Amino acid sequence: MANSENGGRGTLVTVGYNALALGIFILLWAALSWISESLFLPTPWTVLQAFLDLATYGDVEGINIWMHIFRSTLRIFAGFLAACVLGIPLGILMGLYPRVYDSTKSIVEPVRFIPPVAWIPLVIVLLVGFSRYAFIIWLGAFFPIFIGTLLAVKQVNPVHIDVPRSFGAKRMYIIRKIVIPSTLPDIFTAMRVGMGIGWDCIMAAEMIGGENEGLGVMILKYAELIRIEEIIVGMLVIGAIGFFINEIFIFIERRVFKWKEAVAID
Amino acid sequence: MDQELIDAQITMKFDDMTVLEDLQFKVHRNEFLVLVGPTGCGKTTLARLLGGLLKPTRGHVNIGGEQVNPKIHNISFVFQEPSCIPWRTLWDDIYMGLEIKGVDPKTSEARTREVIKLVGLDGFEAYFPKQISGGMKQRVAIARAYATKPDFLLMDEPFGHLDAQTRYLMQIEIMKIWESEKKTVAYITNNIEEAVYLATRIIVLSRLPASIKAEHHIRLARPRNLTSPDFLKLRKEIAQQCEIVE
Repeated sequence: MANSENGGRGTLVTVGYNALALGIFILLWAALSWISESLFLPTPWTVLQAFLDLATYGDVEGINIWMHIFRSTLRIFAGFLAACVLGIPLGILMGLYPRVYDSTKSIVEPVRFIPPVAWIPLVIVLLVGFSRYAFIIWLGAFFPIFIGTLLAVKQVNPVHIDVPRSFGAKRMYIIRKIVIPSTLPDIFTAMRVGMGIGWDCIMAAEMIGGENEGLGVMILKYAELIRIEEIIVGMLVIGAIGFFINEIFIFIERRVFKWKEAVAID
Repeated sequence: MDQELIDAQITMKFDDMTVLEDLQFKVHRNEFLVLVGPTGCGKTTLARLLGGLLKPTRGHVNIGGEQVNPKIHNISFVFQEPSCIPWRTLWDDIYMGLEIKGVDPKTSEARTREVIKLVGLDGFEAYFPKQISGGMKQRVAIARAYATKPDFLLMDEPFGHLDAQTRYLMQIEIMKIWESEKKTVAYITNNIEEAVYLATRIIVLSRLPASIKAEHHIRLARPRNLTSPDFLKLRKEIAQQCEIVE
C-alpha cells in the first residue's frame, strides 16, 4: 500500500515536470516566431486561434474540426479492430502450429512487405467510401499485430507449459491458462505498434482518398491555401490523439499486468 | 511394504544419440528413491520419461501395471527450472493441479491451505512469483506438486538452482514434508551428499548412454548427520562410482 502512495506522488511530480517542459517549449516557440516575424512561423496564439476557429466555424468548406477528428478516429478504430480480431487469433494459431505458418510463408511474407500506402491506388479503384480507409488501416495494423502475436506464442517458456502438462491438462487448458496470459503483454505491445501504423496509413489514405472529411484531408486543404496555422493545428491534433490513445493503452497494461510490475521483496 | 509402483525398462534415443540404454529399475511404494548420476547423463530425459512427458524409443514405464499417462495417473512433477507461473499468485499457482484434476472447489481450497502451511508459505498467498525468493519459489513448486496428493512424485534436481545454504535448508524441509505425508518419490540429482541425506534407496547412473552402475539401500537414522563416519563412507563410495574423485 505504501508503494502505491509513493507511486501517486511520483506521478504527480512527473506531470509537474511535463507541464514545465511544455511551458518552456511554448515560450521558446513564441520567442522564435516573434523574433523571426516570418509568415511561415506563426505564434502559438495564432495557432490556438486557428484551432478555435476550426472548432467554431469549421474549415474552408464549413466542416467542423470535430467532424474531421471523428471521421479519422472512426476509420482508425474500425480498421484497428478488424486487425485485432483477425491478427490475434491467427497469430496464436500459427504460433501453436508452426506448420501452418511455414507452409503459407510464401504468401504471408511478400504481402507483409508491400507497404499499405502502395495499396492505396488499387483500393481507390476497388473500394468506396469508408471501406477504403478501413481496409488500408486494417492492412497497416494487421501485420504488426499478427507477427507480434505469433512471435510471442513461440516465446512462451516451455516449463510453464510443462507444469499443467505434468498434471495431465488438456490442450485447451494450456492455451487458455498459459499461452494466452503469457503472450498478452506482447500482444498489447503489438497492438500499440499497430495503432501507430494505423495513424500513418490514415493520413496517407485521406490525403489521396478524395473525400472531404478527415484530419488528413483537412491538412491538405490548408496546404493548398498555404495556411500554416491550420496545418499545424491538424498535426498537433493528430499528435495529441495518438498520445492520448497510447496513455490509455499504458493505463490498461498497468492494471492487467500487475504481476509484471510487482516489486520484489528480496 | 515392498510393493512396486513403477516398473521402468527404457531405451531412449534422440536421432542417433542413445541417451538411455536398456535402463531397468522399479520404484516401490512410499520409498524415497534417489537417482544420482554425473552431469549430462540424461537425468532430465529420464525424469520426463517417468512422468509421461516423453515416450521411450523402446521399452516402457508402467505405473501399477499400466503405461504411465499424466491424464490418467495422479503424478506430480517438480521441475529443475523455476516453474512458478508469473501471472498467478502463490495461491492460484498451488491450486493449479487441483483445478486441472477437476477436484471440487471446497476440497481444493482446504487442501491448498493445508499444503501452503506444510511448506511454510502461509501469509504469502496473494504474492506474485516476482515478489519472492528462489527458495520460496521452489517451495511453491513442491506445494503445488503435493496438493494433488500424488501417487508418484517426481523431482528433477529441484534445488539445483539454489545457493548452497538455501539448498541445505530445503533438503531438511523436504524430508520433514515427506515424513509428515509419505509419498512415493523419485528424486533426481547430481549431488551425492543430497542423495545420501534424502534417500531410502540410491541408484547410481553411469555416463552416457546411462545405465545402472550401483544400488544402495540407505539405512542411516534420520535426521541424518552429514559428518558422521557412516554418512561420509557412503558418500565416498558413491562418488567413486559416479567417477567423481573426491
